[in-house]
Amino acid sequence: MAKFDIDGGLIRKLSKLLEETDLTEIEFESEGQRIRVARNSGGYRESYIPVAETGKQAGTAEEQAEKTASAKSDHPGAITSPMVGTAYVASEPESPPFVKVGDKIREGQTLIIVEAMKTMNPVLALRDGTVKEILVENGDPVEFGEALMIIE
Amino acid sequence: MEDNPKLDELYHLLKLDVVGSTNEEAARLGREGAPAGTLVWAKSQTGGKGRRGRDWVSPGGNLYASLLLRPNILLAQAPEISFVAAVAVFNTLCFILPQTARIHMKWPNDIIVEGHKIAGILLESSAQGEMLDWLVVGIGINIASSPDKTPFPATSLHESGAPHAKTADVLGRFADSFKRVMETWTNEGFAPIRKRWLEFAWCLGEEIEVKTEQETLRGVFCDIDPSGALILDLGGGDKRIITAANVIRGFPT
Repeated sequence: MAKFDIDGGLIRKLSKLLEETDLTEIEFESEGQRIRVARNSGGYRESYIPVAETGKQAGTAEEQAEKTASAKSDHPGAITSPMVGTAYVASEPESPPFVKVGDKIREGQTLIIVEAMKTMNPVLALRDGTVKEILVENGDPVEFGEALMIIE
Repeated sequence: MEDNPKLDELYHLLKLDVVGSTNEEAARLGREGAPAGTLVWAKSQTGGKGRRGRDWVSPGGNLYASLLLRPNILLAQAPEISFVAAVAVFNTLCFILPQTARIHMKWPNDIIVEGHKIAGILLESSAQGEMLDWLVVGIGINIASSPDKTPFPATSLHESGAPHAKTADVLGRFADSFKRVMETWTNEGFAPIRKRWLEFAWCLGEEIEVKTEQETLRGVFCDIDPSGALILDLGGGDKRIITAANVIRGFPT
């Protein structure tokens, strides 16, 4: 498998395009890199819809929060969630957090863990930097591509 | 040696008398580039772990094993293997326990015999971008003994109708079963795994209590979604999709 840097912004743009056009798959090729974004018609997206519609809090506050979150995920220093799941800011409920705002971090350091169905996935720093903002609370549900943290 | 399991050639067995945690050992080997199929088996663990830092009591006589996998998949698909492992352990125990034993899977991947937990599974993944790099599937099966004073009542194979079960045989059976279920998943996808899981799900359609990192919820366990997440109906049209929690109690009618 060829290795290349994943362009998160591009994937998000393609995902948005998928939604707008109601297609299930888009493939994009440029400079020897090919990215295919597909959505499963029976996937999570669909199963989430009825919940949002019947949820009590579905309202403008939530829509506003969603807009802010998607703006954050476009931030160049955003660390985004690699999967749908539950985010943990510490290794155990009583442990100190992996990182705090203002911490200097090193490439490869664990920033957050995202769990889905007892599969624990540590989200690692891709480069050195400083934690500018932490956007999730311990135990928050997170979506694929959602910004978890801003690193500068 | 007679107490070694018979394993398919795709497995590479690493047998240890004692280890901190087989999952940590397998993850360390994963980072070092060990091949897929590396199977770490320990007679006992000094720091066995469940989810969110809970201890997994690990005396000799029970099974503690972690399998390293490197499937070429998106990280987002890795949680499906949590159910592959559950079905494999379930099939293993169906073979070993008497036919009359009532065996179920408690969301997402605990194995329950007559309402008592007999096995637990915990996975750890590592990704390169959005692709999975490696995945460790850790399993613990109570064979000779089960812990007291656990939040959920526990049992073992010896206490549940298989008094002569041995760790090496159980590991061998599991390895066979896992290979078969993994082949189904590779060839046919998650749907048949999900179907089998739902067929033997513990408290499906019943009221359950689940403890997430933030709250304890009680509701009806309606279904799992296409990704395996638990759908809990709290009543009044409020349904939650839960990706991480402990199912701590069931209220079968």
